[in-house]
Amino acid sequence: MNVIENFLGGTYALFSDPIGILVFLGGVLGGMLFGAIPGVSMLTLAAILLPFTAHLTAEHGIMLFSVIYCTGVYGGAITAILFNIPGAPENAPTAFDGYPMTQKGQAGKAVGAAVMCSAIGGTVSAIIMMVATAPIANWAISAFGPPEIFALVFFGLAVAASVGAKTFWKGWLSILAGLLISIVGLDPVGGIARYDFGMPYLLAGIHFIPVILGFFAVAEIFVQAEKKVTGAFKAPKVGVAFPSLSELLAHKIAVVRSIFIGFFCGILPGIGATLAAFMGYNEAVRWSKKPEEFGTGKLEGVISSETANNAATGAAMIPLLALGLPGGALTAMMVGVFQMHDMEPGPLVFLTSADLVWVVFAAMFFANLSILLIGYLETRTIINLLKVPFQFLAPLILMLATVGAYAVRGLSVDVVAMFVAGVVGFFLRRSGYSLPGIVLGLILGGIGEQTFAQAMQMLHFEWTGFAGRPIAFVLIIAGFLTLFSSIYGAFFKKRKMPGA
Amino acid sequence: MNRLKTGHIVEFVLWVAFAALLYSFTFDFDQEIEIYKFGASAWPRVILLLVVVAATGQLLYHLKRGNGDSGTFASAADDESGRTAAEQHHNTPRWYLATFSMLFIPLVYVLVPEWIAAALSMDKAGLGTIKIIVALAALILFLFAARGNPIGAMLTLPILFAVGLQDFGFYALAPVFMLGVMYLMGERRSARMLVIAAATYSVLLFLFVSVLYVGLPTGNVHPFYDFGTAMVTLLQ
Repeated sequence: MNVIENFLGGTYALFSDPIGILVFLGGVLGGMLFGAIPGVSMLTLAAILLPFTAHLTAEHGIMLFSVIYCTGVYGGAITAILFNIPGAPENAPTAFDGYPMTQKGQAGKAVGAAVMCSAIGGTVSAIIMMVATAPIANWAISAFGPPEIFALVFFGLAVAASVGAKTFWKGWLSILAGLLISIVGLDPVGGIARYDFGMPYLLAGIHFIPVILGFFAVAEIFVQAEKKVTGAFKAPKVGVAFPSLSELLAHKIAVVRSIFIGFFCGILPGIGATLAAFMGYNEAVRWSKKPEEFGTGKLEGVISSETANNAATGAAMIPLLALGLPGGALTAMMVGVFQMHDMEPGPLVFLTSADLVWVVFAAMFFANLSILLIGYLETRTIINLLKVPFQFLAPLILMLATVGAYAVRGLSVDVVAMFVAGVVGFFLRRSGYSLPGIVLGLILGGIGEQTFAQAMQMLHFEWTGFAGRPIAFVLIIAGFLTLFSSIYGAFFKKRKMPGA
Repeated sequence: MNRLKTGHIVEFVLWVAFAALLYSFTFDFDQEIEIYKFGASAWPRVILLLVVVAATGQLLYHLKRGNGDSGTFASAADDESGRTAAEQHHNTPRWYLATFSMLFIPLVYVLVPEWIAAALSMDKAGLGTIKIIVALAALILFLFAARGNPIGAMLTLPILFAVGLQDFGFYALAPVFMLGVMYLMGERRSARMLVIAAATYSVLLFLFVSVLYVGLPTGNVHPFYDFGTAMVTLLQ
């Protein structure tokens, strides 16, 4: 079995390297902690770390991010259950039933279920990822040319636009804003300077690191600062007791269903863990014989949501590694890590750096397993760390972001750009726009324009040429269908909020 | 049924004006590329057109539905900040006006010293003095504007810090900045603020300057420059 051999090879490479082990453990604990602290998320941690991954090898950098992804998705469940404050959006549905369970005195059971289900969902997802990614990449090498990649970018953006923001239109405006930012600099075909306004700083294009730091580290602090000032920030209380696990077996079906939903959501670009959690929860309600019990503290609610969001993590790696397309903010940052090491993610990674891929796969597998161990041992410690008042945490995060933004190129303009992006992000978020949508547009914009130009040259500028390429054609049609159904939904259909 | 609010119209106008402005700039780089018949400006123009379409869609949507959002899944989790803002009157036109004018203070510091130096044809040392004076003026302006608008101050302070970084250096500005952030977030216990700022500062400098050798800006205005370089010598 090739997969098992590769996996063992990756495992050996991971644990025989002391720096690798350090990075792994740092990622596991950091992801969990930042996932748990309300007001910052794993994206904040990832944004802060992004500039410094230049000091790590590409292998360790990608591995760090994938580990943060796995444990960060779990970390937010702790505060969602105990204090009704989801650490991150992907844990929001966990609070629907998790917090009522806490109120009924079943906090321990809920946290235990979250630990168990995050680990199961994530591990299964990691296994499917290991088996499926390489064949998909192999197939993609022969089947995917520029028209197909462009079609996939289009489809991905169409899906992303439909889910992330307050309204469908704001979703699109977010994506388009990201695309506009990606235009600044030299055009991909003729090397003509666009929107540089005579400034050398803009000629090189707006660097994604200040933008990402501004959106996910600085803007978060501003949002929390506003809550703090207006007195809406609640300092968490402490207390947890651990449960028995017998009831989990009774929810086999919920677990399996959520794994499927989570994996499916994860593999589609633009959807990711947040929608996975909401859909996992929604389906649990829909399938239930007693839907009215959800929201009152039903264990199945926690199980469905937490299994699904972790199941999305492994799946999200497939389009990134097999096709070179990030599906969300965190995978978009991984593209950044690749680029800082002069690599492009995509099917060729399997040929040129198979070692890297398998170390990352092994790390994700063990990160999910370690949720089980650390989740039981360290949850109490994490809750105690949450008592650090935010006004002391905020300057630290802002300082780290400053050093990070400056360290990339040694330009203090990057620090200014970061804080300006933070202010812009703060206002956009308040008005219901989607910051991950903008980042996705920014990262995919360059790929989109370049592949579009190549595709048009290949097809001799005949639009009908897309129809002759079945994969590209299907993806474009699917993109338009997503688009039109969302427009229809935005104007004519009343959609009920899950859990509302 | 007209459910439009002023905010919706302002939002629409801003998007369209923004798109129109960027569209006018596309003529600057509207060059032919021999191998690519759409040229360099077709892609940006299509995107700008789509921006107008989407902004119009958004306007029509508000016309039909008012502020009520049919909502996408993710927004349910992310909505609380908007609600808090609305409850606390941080979205009145007056607040926006005050905040946006405050955000222009850093720009004063970026532009004015160069103007003065150019007008008086000063040397580098003179420019340094001008910069210190203008920075002090900007700081006083900021402190004055910050009263009664802590959120605006919270948004402006980091930018002020960032534009000063090149001239005054990370080493001198960071502690002041950290204390400012704590104060703006409602902390008033000065002993605790000082201890935590000092601890954070030391750990950061040790980690990044002594261990990782990150070259942080030392500043270039006397005496801040001397302080910055002294710190670097001390740490490395």
